[in-house]
Amino acid sequence: MTKQTLPNDKPIMGVIVEKWLECFETYGFKIELPVKVQSAKPGQFIMLWVPGVDEFPLGIAGLKNSILEVGIAKMGPGTEAMHNKEVGDLVGIRGFYGKPFVPPEDVNHLLIGGGFGMTPLKLLTKTLMNNENKQNIHVFEGARSKDRLMYLKWFRDFHNQGKINFHACTDDGSYGYQGFPTADLEIFLQESETPSVIYAAGPEKMLKAIFDLGKKYDDVIDMQMSLADRYMRCGFGACSSCTVDPTGWRICVDGPIFSTEKLEKISDFGVYKRLETGEKKRI
Amino acid sequence: MIMSLTTKIGDVTTRNPMILASGVLGTTYSILNRMYEAGLGAVITKSIGVKSRNGHPNPSVFALNEIRSVINSVGLANPGYQIFREDIEILLKNSTPTIVSIFGENKEEFQEVLEGLKDLPVLAFELNFSCPNTEKGGTQIGTDPDLVYEIVKDLREKTSTSLWVKLTPNVSDIIEIAAAAVKGGCDALVAINTLKAMVIDIHAKQPILGYKKGGLSGAAIKPVGIRYVYDLYEHFGNKIPLIGVGGIFRGEDIIEYLLAGASAVEIGTSLGVAYPENMVRFFQTKIKKYMKEQQYDSISEITGRAHK
Repeated sequence: MTKQTLPNDKPIMGVIVEKWLECFETYGFKIELPVKVQSAKPGQFIMLWVPGVDEFPLGIAGLKNSILEVGIAKMGPGTEAMHNKEVGDLVGIRGFYGKPFVPPEDVNHLLIGGGFGMTPLKLLTKTLMNNENKQNIHVFEGARSKDRLMYLKWFRDFHNQGKINFHACTDDGSYGYQGFPTADLEIFLQESETPSVIYAAGPEKMLKAIFDLGKKYDDVIDMQMSLADRYMRCGFGACSSCTVDPTGWRICVDGPIFSTEKLEKISDFGVYKRLETGEKKRI
Repeated sequence: MIMSLTTKIGDVTTRNPMILASGVLGTTYSILNRMYEAGLGAVITKSIGVKSRNGHPNPSVFALNEIRSVINSVGLANPGYQIFREDIEILLKNSTPTIVSIFGENKEEFQEVLEGLKDLPVLAFELNFSCPNTEKGGTQIGTDPDLVYEIVKDLREKTSTSLWVKLTPNVSDIIEIAAAAVKGGCDALVAINTLKAMVIDIHAKQPILGYKKGGLSGAAIKPVGIRYVYDLYEHFGNKIPLIGVGGIFRGEDIIEYLLAGASAVEIGTSLGVAYPENMVRFFQTKIKKYMKEQQYDSISEITGRAHK
């Protein structure tokens, strides 16, 4: 009998059923599991085991029945080993971990991020498109250059269909406008007169810049940010490697999504993170 | 008389018998503060050594639901005592009763860590002679009574702060090791550390842990811990305080350890969950309920009762 969901247990082996080059040094994978995966929510994450090499936290880009979609950028030996995996190979999955995004109703949904952060934002976009007034969904994506914009085609297609408003930018101007995604976000906030919620995922330094920007606008009623850009070991709250100061919240179970109210209490947000040794490192 | 949970472990006094075990929720001052505020009697840091260690490759911690347990091969990841000192200082400033777990590959390393931290007013140092996830030190020390005696004796001469010795269950005669620690001058014995363990995935056809081998904690090892605490109490009686640890998931488990001979307990795996505060509250409620039902006024009245 197929189990209904993925429990927090030892890794369950899944088989890679699809692999594609998503963008520069980034592969997309579809992994079929012997359990159903629909219960996962946008913002939650899994631990991906590449047998014999490494295990690392990973955002969820999509789900359907027993198939999980992930996007993996080259970031170290574990992700590199995953890039060498092919259709038919086995990988282990643990999850689902963490607290998801919680979108309220009747607001402008402003999704903003870059790099690996686009993975949970893709799933969030999909969820919002199913439930919300299409005009209210804005996605702001930034990357160094066009070939590094993750899910560019996917977002652009929905933009062309009028289902979302996609704002892309690149550092070198090779796609969209030249600059950071915060520039378009700020223009939107300046013009908007209705309540907005910002959802952000990606490198923590970028999140902090978005947070500081969002704070300036009263119409931004909440910001929900994924602090998954930190070292995680167990994923379920035991090892405490991902603890933030001074609150003692663990990103894996008390996060990875934190709201404005909580982000304000995290003094190391955008300042320093802890390495796997526990040592602090400036962000 | 009014019922009190105040607990005495040699010269150490805590507000209740529940102490956070080393290795779980112990990497930063912030999570340790949080666990004390959750209601524990005291907290123990992650084991700290002379220099920074990354630990073993991941996977290094995962749950085994069927047996309500966790296997790990973290391998003593820590920033080294010089850097971790800052976290300890914040804990002490916050008046969090702190025990520092220390480890070394040999006597000289234990000396260095102790010398580097002994000026701090911590409750105790817990000597980790029992980590199964390291080539040198760890169980290599904890299975050798001569080394245990030598190191405890040496550290005893260097500090008047309480020294607790955490024992490994991975020995044929725990009494022999415990006796060496007592002879060396320790103030309490802590039993038990994790059991040597391993998990192999039958589809990947290889061990899951990055280090291949690990240590088991959680509900599966509780009867083992109870047995060792019982054996130690049988041998030492009130001569040395015992701290029971291994698989505490319910208030009843704490009572069981106390009855077996423990003066206090350490709790780890069951607190490694999303809402550890709730667990601590459940434990505390259960202990009080039991004491009321059984008409005990103090924790020490329960210690060792199963032997009478």
